[in-house]
Amino acid sequence: MKRHLTHLSKTILQNSSSKTLPLSRCLSTQEAIERRHHLFTLEKKRQVESVGRIEKIEVRYKGVPKDCTLVMNKDISSPYDCARHLSEWHADSNALALIDGAVHWDMHRPLSENCTLESYSSTEPQAVNKAFWRTCSFLLGAVAARAFKEDVTVKLHSFPGPDIRSGSFIYDVELSLPAWSPAPRELITLSAELVRLCRRGAPLERLEVSEELALEMFVDNSHKAKQIPSIARTNGKVTLYRVEKHVDISKGPLVCHAAQVGRAAVAAVHRIIGNFTIISAVGRLLLDVGLPHRPPVVSVGSGLHPP
Amino acid sequence: MNQAEVAKLVSKLRIKVPPQPRKLRNIQGPQGRLDKLRKTVTGLIKHERIELNSNRADEARQYAERLISEAIRHGDCHKPTMDIADYWLLEKELVHKLFKVLVPRYENFDKSYTRMHKAPRAMNTRNQEKAVLELRGNPYPSLTNKQASNRQLIQNILLDAAKYDYRQSKYLEMAEKMGKAEDKEAGTKAEAVLESNDKN
Repeated sequence: MKRHLTHLSKTILQNSSSKTLPLSRCLSTQEAIERRHHLFTLEKKRQVESVGRIEKIEVRYKGVPKDCTLVMNKDISSPYDCARHLSEWHADSNALALIDGAVHWDMHRPLSENCTLESYSSTEPQAVNKAFWRTCSFLLGAVAARAFKEDVTVKLHSFPGPDIRSGSFIYDVELSLPAWSPAPRELITLSAELVRLCRRGAPLERLEVSEELALEMFVDNSHKAKQIPSIARTNGKVTLYRVEKHVDISKGPLVCHAAQVGRAAVAAVHRIIGNFTIISAVGRLLLDVGLPHRPPVVSVGSGLHPP
Repeated sequence: MNQAEVAKLVSKLRIKVPPQPRKLRNIQGPQGRLDKLRKTVTGLIKHERIELNSNRADEARQYAERLISEAIRHGDCHKPTMDIADYWLLEKELVHKLFKVLVPRYENFDKSYTRMHKAPRAMNTRNQEKAVLELRGNPYPSLTNKQASNRQLIQNILLDAAKYDYRQSKYLEMAEKMGKAEDKEAGTKAEAVLESNDKN
């Protein structure tokens, strides 16, 4: 199975033409996920190898326990690596890095220049909040892609920008089920999948790929394939994120790892048009937002089943 | 001597003072207890934040509060206060710190001058409870993390939105009730008018 997939993706990479399209169209959802994961791995490996000679950069860290200067590898080391030099607590709890006091940078995105690095200040958490909400949507998509049986085709569409005041994060999914309204038990199952994914705490890896490769990756998903050209219009690059084996497009930034999303539950599924199904979920209030400090919050009953 | 005059003589502390002094067991008896407390008070004034056993911290805290409040009340030209400071501060340069640094810092305070936190203790051990005792306004980073008032935190944003929704639904309910009541009133008035017309 694995060898077959490797072979398949290699041929796709080599040819990158429409010859393989019919082949990949008949992939099941699970196989498509595997294939995307494999392509992501290959591309990441290629990008790391293409760095070539390793150069050093100086990263000036500001914050607890004390300011210091770290010498890191250019285009390889990420803020996460810097945090691991400091302490386990830094690596676990930081959600975003603040580069040069202005840019919000993913923890797993390699640094390319000399810069200052700050861990996130909890007095102005707007950017972290947004990243957190985006991550919730992203993880919901990962759950939706995997939770259904083999015979149900799941096509992820996209997720809207973070709107925290609405209290719910959303992912739009096309399902091949004609009329599906989930029973309460099914919702609980979806919630449990979401919580399990969060608990495993896989890192959210970031990768910028070219438009062609992105199209190859999402060849089985007509919605994503339509979106990619408009996303890549600005600089010809598409930003992808991966959690475990699930690869998806997102503008980013996302938080450091899935375990920073505390507790969340899938609250409702709304059908919009035809076979389109919006799955919207309401995040519960027990959130480990991954700020440097984790304020204690009492979970407030909101009519949801505890996940 | 009545109650009001006692309050003038002894400055009122802003912490809870138990009626009985705590018995800190010591091999030298009461004198040993006082020596230990003097050491602790000196350490507190010197380092501004110390970690120690909880009961000794609580006991020393009361003496430190009293010392600072006396210093604020009487200033450095008052012989008895100077004697007290001389007794409690084993390192004499701290007397200067007390009057020149701490008194200006705490002059306009409306809270206690010290703060005590429970310190963590290893699980399932029989060690004594630990505490952190600190002077307020010290230069160290804060030990607690009070962010309940930070409206930008995601928890607070979600709670605010939920409160807003709840209030809106209540307003709607009230508006519906008022609308119904008005309809009823209008209905009864119309009937009354009709009746009066019939009579005429």
